[in-house]
Amino acid sequence: MRLFLVSVFLWLPLLFFAYSVNAEVCLICHSAMNGKVRTEKGILIELNIDENRFSKSVHSGLECTMCHKTYTDNPHEPQTGEVSKNITDLAALISHKVKMDPIAYASCVKCHEDVYKSLSESVHGKNIMEKKQKDGPLCLDCHGSPHYIMPGSSTESHVNRWKIVNTCGECHEKKDLAEKYSLGMHIIEKYNESFHGKKHKLGHAGAPTCVNCHGAHGIKKWDDPASPVSWEKRIETCGKCHKGANKKFVAAITHKPVGKDNPIPFYGEKGLIILTAATLIFVIMHVFLEAYADIRDHIFRKKEEPHD
Amino acid sequence: MTNERPLEYQRFNLTFRIQHIILMVTFLLLAFTGWALKYPEPALEHAGWWIRMWGGPKSAGVIHRISGLIMIVDFLWHCIYIAYQLLTGKMKFHPDTTVVPLPRDVKNAVQNINYFVGLSKTKPKFGKYSYIQKFDYWAPFWGMAIIGLSGLVLTFPTKAAILFPQWSVNWIWELLFVLHSDEALLAITYIFMMHFYAEHLKLENFPMSMTWITGKIPLKKMKNEHSLEYELEFGKNKGDDK
Repeated sequence: MRLFLVSVFLWLPLLFFAYSVNAEVCLICHSAMNGKVRTEKGILIELNIDENRFSKSVHSGLECTMCHKTYTDNPHEPQTGEVSKNITDLAALISHKVKMDPIAYASCVKCHEDVYKSLSESVHGKNIMEKKQKDGPLCLDCHGSPHYIMPGSSTESHVNRWKIVNTCGECHEKKDLAEKYSLGMHIIEKYNESFHGKKHKLGHAGAPTCVNCHGAHGIKKWDDPASPVSWEKRIETCGKCHKGANKKFVAAITHKPVGKDNPIPFYGEKGLIILTAATLIFVIMHVFLEAYADIRDHIFRKKEEPHD
Repeated sequence: MTNERPLEYQRFNLTFRIQHIILMVTFLLLAFTGWALKYPEPALEHAGWWIRMWGGPKSAGVIHRISGLIMIVDFLWHCIYIAYQLLTGKMKFHPDTTVVPLPRDVKNAVQNINYFVGLSKTKPKFGKYSYIQKFDYWAPFWGMAIIGLSGLVLTFPTKAAILFPQWSVNWIWELLFVLHSDEALLAITYIFMMHFYAEHLKLENFPMSMTWITGKIPLKKMKNEHSLEYELEFGKNKGDDK
């Protein structure tokens, strides 16, 4: 009986907020749900929202229904508010990748229209929207769940300058994707080995990450003349930090491992390693032998002090 | 008779000692700051204590560049000084006092290693510089030339790029990165093995040979370790005039 009363009280607030459903109301239930739910389409989804993390996110001030415009499943009353045309258009373009709720996903465009515009012109967006592929990122793939998006300056943000290399690497370190789209195979590895990457790892505030050179939402393939790292634009891009950058200088960074097609550095590096190893082996052996002989002489071959 | 001889022999003059001290200080600073870049750890995490010790990545970079420039100046000073000494006749070439590698050094090395393992009863006789000391001189010499040049290019990349031939630009940068850091690693390991053993750990030198500060070597030690130079300087037999 008591339990019943409590459960009635739990539902009471819904009556008061029936016409302005803000996040707190939804979170009464959606912050206390365990496990996952299978939808009618057969997709397993998590319905719980971490209230604490949500309240810290940049989207904490938004109402749930600003994005979740359509939902039908019990126990809600079906929401049938009108959805603007640019959202439905976009939802149609991405519905093959976003199975769950393309309308909610496309709702980002409501506030971030310019971002969506440049994304749709990028190599990532075109692959999804024009070539109808599932590979390539939309908003959530890089930024994480919209409920927990942190400002870019926060180290909890997936696109923060100390996190972005790993975020890009989630796809750009995948071998199958690299083969499918003939991408560079070792770009993250080569970046991490480069001066830029090492300084970045050390925490140098001036070291460039992926997006500083390649751009972010409007990213193009490097051989596209519109890309900031194309041969046409590279001098300008490198020149942002390296004043006086010229054509020979900007050839320095390719993110490509040195192969046999460049015999001088390829065999040069091998030769250098052999030289270094040989010297080290000689030096170490010599030191140990000398130490052995010195100890032996000291203990077993004590010579008379040469008198002068 | 023997009392007329000094107890110590002046092995290095003040200029050489100053050059060596500058080399030592800059080498250590370069090695410490460069190590932090070769094996980077995030400065703000626990493992980044080493880079924090040098004031973070920016300050470590400044220390590295300034030390590098001082080392290059030191290197040039040394070369010019030697050339000047040779030209004015203050320094003369003699097989027993030269640091230039000679065929006898190979022979000495073979005999010395044979002595270590017991195949030879006697140690070879050395001049002013044993083959190890010659190695000790030419390894940093070569290292400073290679690492110094590549370091200059990496410090002023946009200006250096103008000098590169067009056909090399696709790989020369990669080669320079590798050259700079691999040679540096070799130099560091070399110093911490060979040089430290010879000048610090060896029984007669432990904990440290004082020659680098005083420039002098005890005559007894000179007679044992640099017998050819000793004979050249003081004559083969006791009491002989020079």
